Amino acid sequence: MMDESNPYLPYTVKIEDAWYETPGDRAIKTFKVNFTDEKVWDTWSHRPGQCAMVGRLGVGESMFCISSSPTEQGYLRFSVMRMGKVTCALHELEAGDTMTVRGPLGNSFPLEEWEGKNIITVGGGIGQAPLRPVINYIRANRDKYADLKVIYGARTMSDHCFKGEFDEYNQEGTACHLSIDVDEEKWPHFVGFVPNLLMEVAPNPESAIAVTCGPPIMIKFVIQNLEKLGFAPEQIFTTLEERMKCGIGKCGRCNVGHLYVCKDGPVFSYATLKDIPEAFA
Amino acid sequence: MANYKFAKEKLAKVLSGLSDFKVLAPALTGDVARFQEVTDPAQVTLDYGNSNVPPKELMFPETETLFKYRLGQDEVEASVPSPEEKRVIFGIRPCDAQAYSIVDNLFRWDFNDPYFLNRRESTALVGLACADPCANCFCPSVGGGPASEEYLDAVMFDLGDAVYLKTLTDKGEGVAEALSGVLEAAGGDEKKAADKQAKDALGKIQRSIDTAGIPEKLPSLYDHPFWEQFSDRCLGCGICTYLCPTCHCFDIQDESEAFDARRARMWDTCMFAEYSLHTSGHNPRPTRKERTRNRISHKYSYFPEKFDVIACVGCGRCINYCPVNIDILDILEKSKEAEAKEAKTA
Amino acid sequence: MVDSKKLQDKARETLVRDDVRRLIGWKRGTYGYEAAPTVIKDASDAEALIFDPTCVQNLASFLTLEEKLPVPRGAEPDTRKVAVMVKGCDSRAIVQHLLEKAYGRDDVIVLGIPCRGVIDRRKAEKLFGDVATPVEVKEEGDKLVLEIGGEVKTVDRKDILMDKCLRCRYPNPLVSDFLLDEEVEKFADDDFADVDEFEKQSPADKWAHWEEQFGKCIRCYSCRNVCPMCYCVECIVTKLRPQWTRRSTDISENTAYHIQRAWHLAGRCIECMECQRVCPVDIPIMTLNRKLTRDVKELFDYEPGVDTEAQPLLASYNPQDPEEYIM
Repeated sequence: MMDESNPYLPYTVKIEDAWYETPGDRAIKTFKVNFTDEKVWDTWSHRPGQCAMVGRLGVGESMFCISSSPTEQGYLRFSVMRMGKVTCALHELEAGDTMTVRGPLGNSFPLEEWEGKNIITVGGGIGQAPLRPVINYIRANRDKYADLKVIYGARTMSDHCFKGEFDEYNQEGTACHLSIDVDEEKWPHFVGFVPNLLMEVAPNPESAIAVTCGPPIMIKFVIQNLEKLGFAPEQIFTTLEERMKCGIGKCGRCNVGHLYVCKDGPVFSYATLKDIPEAFA
Repeated sequence: MANYKFAKEKLAKVLSGLSDFKVLAPALTGDVARFQEVTDPAQVTLDYGNSNVPPKELMFPETETLFKYRLGQDEVEASVPSPEEKRVIFGIRPCDAQAYSIVDNLFRWDFNDPYFLNRRESTALVGLACADPCANCFCPSVGGGPASEEYLDAVMFDLGDAVYLKTLTDKGEGVAEALSGVLEAAGGDEKKAADKQAKDALGKIQRSIDTAGIPEKLPSLYDHPFWEQFSDRCLGCGICTYLCPTCHCFDIQDESEAFDARRARMWDTCMFAEYSLHTSGHNPRPTRKERTRNRISHKYSYFPEKFDVIACVGCGRCINYCPVNIDILDILEKSKEAEAKEAKTA
Repeated sequence: MVDSKKLQDKARETLVRDDVRRLIGWKRGTYGYEAAPTVIKDASDAEALIFDPTCVQNLASFLTLEEKLPVPRGAEPDTRKVAVMVKGCDSRAIVQHLLEKAYGRDDVIVLGIPCRGVIDRRKAEKLFGDVATPVEVKEEGDKLVLEIGGEVKTVDRKDILMDKCLRCRYPNPLVSDFLLDEEVEKFADDDFADVDEFEKQSPADKWAHWEEQFGKCIRCYSCRNVCPMCYCVECIVTKLRPQWTRRSTDISENTAYHIQRAWHLAGRCIECMECQRVCPVDIPIMTLNRKLTRDVKELFDYEPGVDTEAQPLLASYNPQDPEEYIM
């Protein structure tokens, strides 16, 4: 866990492997990292949904979800989209380089409460990053959960993250439903926006939990559609993001209403969010 | 605890007696006081209303180093800030001391902020009760008072020629002990005069607000247009926030000179557009309306929701220093008048 | 003194026009010696409008402060005008906005008010103390009559008006659609004696002075936000890529900030002195701006904010421009 005496001090991690998930200006790069001080693992434990402040000394930090499940031992994964000062600096790094990690931060998905239920993940673009640890956790504890469905879409084929992993899920009997926004040659699956794909799949809300993450506009319509399909607000979970600096609920800026996304979140059920006007402003 | 007094003209001697402590006290520049480290006791004054910049800067400085490192190297210079030397804040007003307690809640919330808390731990607060509250003070409306003793280690009453000093905690007694050669024991007369001053001061408070129901009501006024009458004239500057003793928001930035670098934090304000601006360009609070609403809601609704206390001590600085007369009491009054149902039809 | 009924009637008349979206004026403050700016959209709110020596704020700043939000799909942008009340000094800001093309002449309706000076709140509080109720002010020749918390006090103008008013050359608005009062005589000529006086100090003394003053700065950016001429969408001091000025409040960064701002205002500052009025730690910001104003006058014979047809100083080139420092 984080240095209890000073929660602002980061750990140093070494990048074991780094690769691009998607190309372009806003490319997504995944980093597989390990603490330079192995002893950190003795006290480290994280849960799916939790995040960490990832950064470089001399540049700064940004909050990213830990994209690996705690059942993936010995490393952490982060998937970073290149957008601004910190993410551009992170994208310069390759295997062998170091970066800083401060965490784990935030709350997590209530996976114990979901045992025995059918889980549906609905992701869009890089929104799949916080859903990946949920899926991997369930795969590692498969008999504790009922049906698992993965719904995922991105703008184009090349914008799909974690390509190849969906085949693994399929082989294990987890139904994966993939989409792209606009048709392309060689795309054999659904064409259309993720909320529409969701209606196509039309999961049964009975004894089910839906977890969604993606662009704000996608989340909005996915939640609308889940409600149309009969999901109650308590059955719908999402993660929010805001600009963050301290990650520990002190600097004030990430609030959505009275909730601090870095601490009361980033995981929220729709039951909580629907009464907060600022959540979907 | 014990009662002491000293002759007001001996103030410099009292301050010199605290040589074991780092003493922070109000000093005047022109007509305005600001808390500073006392290098020359003669500069210190007890004749001041309240400082412009609140003594929050003594616990939570405008800029401070979180840790240092060298560019190109991986490790940070291990730094849990060592316990600060013993300090006394001498002459702090009760409202500003109350503010520390309010902000304590946040700096202790699950994660302990060692920078702030170390300073809190090592600092004794010797307060100065207000004989003449300022025009815009409203501390009694938010759980305080011009002579409130609740958040202090010792309290002084300026009785004209003499200053009556009452210790309230062990830390306060520690300060009095250091002054054992300088302080005299106080008698019933001084205590009576202090009690009378406290009572009179309460009667001199001119402004007030009944805060009952406000924390619960504000979220329901989210869409109400009444916010615009204030946000339309807001300049979006940082004065209200920076001068507010309970405002605690900060930015964190990395800075370097050649290869010597540090990660530092510095005051920030939710009134700036960049405060919540995402790198993507999206801003959840794009105009002054959202930001004004957020700031007031934070102080009077979100903070009390989490920590059961309104994040305002009624010091009046935001009212006094706002260049466009945005008056928090005016906002709160209008929020009470605003009908929540109007928000839906607006 | 301005006839309040005439002022309110004119405001009402302006607000009911189809082509006017809002009107910016002053209303009575909630306490003390300063009025409050107010933005009204409905003619029925015009009865709150006032003009008297408490109306210190420069309302021209609100013309550039208003956020331009993206227009929702399918909707038309609102091109209606904004009406604003201005004193003489404020009107220079509008002239400067127009010559910089911040907006067009047709975008604003200027309700000009010839001004005989506004109260310096710091001077007032020193004379009469602070007060929790708004102060009523009447003008009587050389004096002002103030009603402060039930008591009536009379004071000479020269003892209570802002310093800028005592050397005001432009009491009458330089641009206006309507004048709400009779024009007044200018008070004085400005000989920049204050700048001369400051310049007499040795460089070491001047540096010590500024080290002390900038050392107080808490970087609240009120000086920047209140300034009518500071309307960059992204201010250089908030830029992160690259970061030109750090946010930390050490003497180096504070000095850089103030000097940067003074330079960015060279040839643009219209001397409304709002920056100095709002500074919570009393930094004499205007000393820098006055120095540059004087230099601009001497070097280029240029005065900002007086002629809407003029070119912005630093955006124009004249072969006669002095260039002793080049080659």
